[in-house]
Amino acid sequence: MIKDITLGQFFPGSSFIHKLDPRAKIVITLCFIVALFLCKNFFSLGLLFVSALVAIALSKISFKVILKGLKMIVILVVFTGILQIVYNDEGTVLWKPFEQFGFQITTGGVFSAVFIIVRIIALILFSSLLTYTTSPTALADAIERLLSPLKIFKVNVNSLSMMMTIALRFIPTLIEEIDIIMSAQKARGADLETGTLTQRAKALVPVFIPLIVSSFRRAYELAFAMECRCYTGDNKRTRMKEMKLGIRDYIAFGVLLLLVAVVVYTSFFNTFSFFIFQQVI
Amino acid sequence: MENKHLLDFQNVFYTYDEEDKDSFAVKDISFTVDKGEYVVILGHNGSGKSTIAKLSNSIFVPSEGKVFVDGMDTADEKNEFKIREKVGVVFQNPDNQIVASIVEEDVAFGPENLGIPPKTIRERVDNALKAVGMYDYRLHETHRLSGGQKQRVAIAGMIAMLPECIVFDEPTAMLDPRGRREVINTARKLNSEGMSIVLITHFMEEAVFADKVIVVDGGRILAEGTPREIFSKTEMLISCGLDVPDTVKLSLLLKEKGVPIEGLPLTEEELTEEYLRILNL
Repeated sequence: MIKDITLGQFFPGSSFIHKLDPRAKIVITLCFIVALFLCKNFFSLGLLFVSALVAIALSKISFKVILKGLKMIVILVVFTGILQIVYNDEGTVLWKPFEQFGFQITTGGVFSAVFIIVRIIALILFSSLLTYTTSPTALADAIERLLSPLKIFKVNVNSLSMMMTIALRFIPTLIEEIDIIMSAQKARGADLETGTLTQRAKALVPVFIPLIVSSFRRAYELAFAMECRCYTGDNKRTRMKEMKLGIRDYIAFGVLLLLVAVVVYTSFFNTFSFFIFQQVI
Repeated sequence: MENKHLLDFQNVFYTYDEEDKDSFAVKDISFTVDKGEYVVILGHNGSGKSTIAKLSNSIFVPSEGKVFVDGMDTADEKNEFKIREKVGVVFQNPDNQIVASIVEEDVAFGPENLGIPPKTIRERVDNALKAVGMYDYRLHETHRLSGGQKQRVAIAGMIAMLPECIVFDEPTAMLDPRGRREVINTARKLNSEGMSIVLITHFMEEAVFADKVIVVDGGRILAEGTPREIFSKTEMLISCGLDVPDTVKLSLLLKEKGVPIEGLPLTEEELTEEYLRILNL
């Protein structure tokens, strides 16, 4: 069950997206997210959505995997959509099911619901692409490099990225362990699936205590293993994979710049009427 | 520094509890390992054998006595790095010694800590992975491997540091028979290529191929000798909670019943040969 999580997983490959510099990928993803929140009309949103789809196609990651990742946010998406429909009263009224409560569905509500849903899906699509195509170590290294200016403020960026690498590395291990402990407790008669919410929450205590205890043991052993491999926490490490911005990265930056320019122009400076899609927010 | 042994324990005592000096985990242990030697340390749980592994590369420093690695004192902090480059340790739980999520990135961890240039790291990682037969898995996720494969990745992580000796601390205790075979065969292959191996275990079968077997019990060395010498002392082995390999048991029984077996066959092949020789008479 918990094993099905694909969000945050890495799928090795050698596509255009895989080969991008991880730093570039992080920066591009951040800019893309900002652009998503800047855009105010369907034209630019559609453009961003399509470019997210193009990026996925370029990454050669199967669409099944992507859909599986989206499944996790279905509830969030539906809920936000409903909220938009309920609370937005702009535009013409389409339907008044419960007039006595002042509840009505308007064109504005429907538009903004669709808008928000597309926006969230584009956001998840694009940002999960980052973790799908970048190994956790590369991601941690990239963050370390991007944060390295913080060294001026005596922030230990190296340790931060090491912590991230190890945390990401142990997520699957700990998930496996939870499964084992839960089975072990069930075998001893623990009831983890029925009862009220508080009862079920209480039943989880005997699952988490062994998990925490064993995590400490793991940490202790891992520390020995890392020491054996000459890790001290403050040695000057080199990297097997050097990060270098290449032509690919500049192309990707160029495309991003173009997208952002279009989004900003159509959302803030557009006075022409040939963008037939109406402004939503 | 008289004659330089690769690993030289001289009257080593070690206690986990500095207050209580009587509770030594390791008491007065002396032995040597030379270049290219295959040494097996036998002992059952709580015999102090895992402490010996951590003493061998300066993770622990002896409470009394000295440990020398290639003539360098492990108590001297200056030597720490050089010692850990020379003597690698592979621990029992493969999950708790893998740092990165991707096989090749984990193997690169050690060399990266040494500050070696990226190109050299790449070469070392590739060679190490080939040496343990995991090169085809270099881009796989570590948590999806089998126990034996994980342990081989851990071994590769050590090989990439170009050690002269690898200490295995019960490397097969958590593995299934197949994984156990994979790991032991890897150790033997490395030994045949000139690497010194110290294998700490409680599986008798793994001691058969050793140049030297050391039996520890209660933190002390009980016996030291060739596998044949050690296994002929069946009673001593049983008295400290160990067992003899089935082939040895069988040949001793046959001898008792009057079958004229010469010497002490250790492996199935040796026993079969000896038996055929007798039948041919």
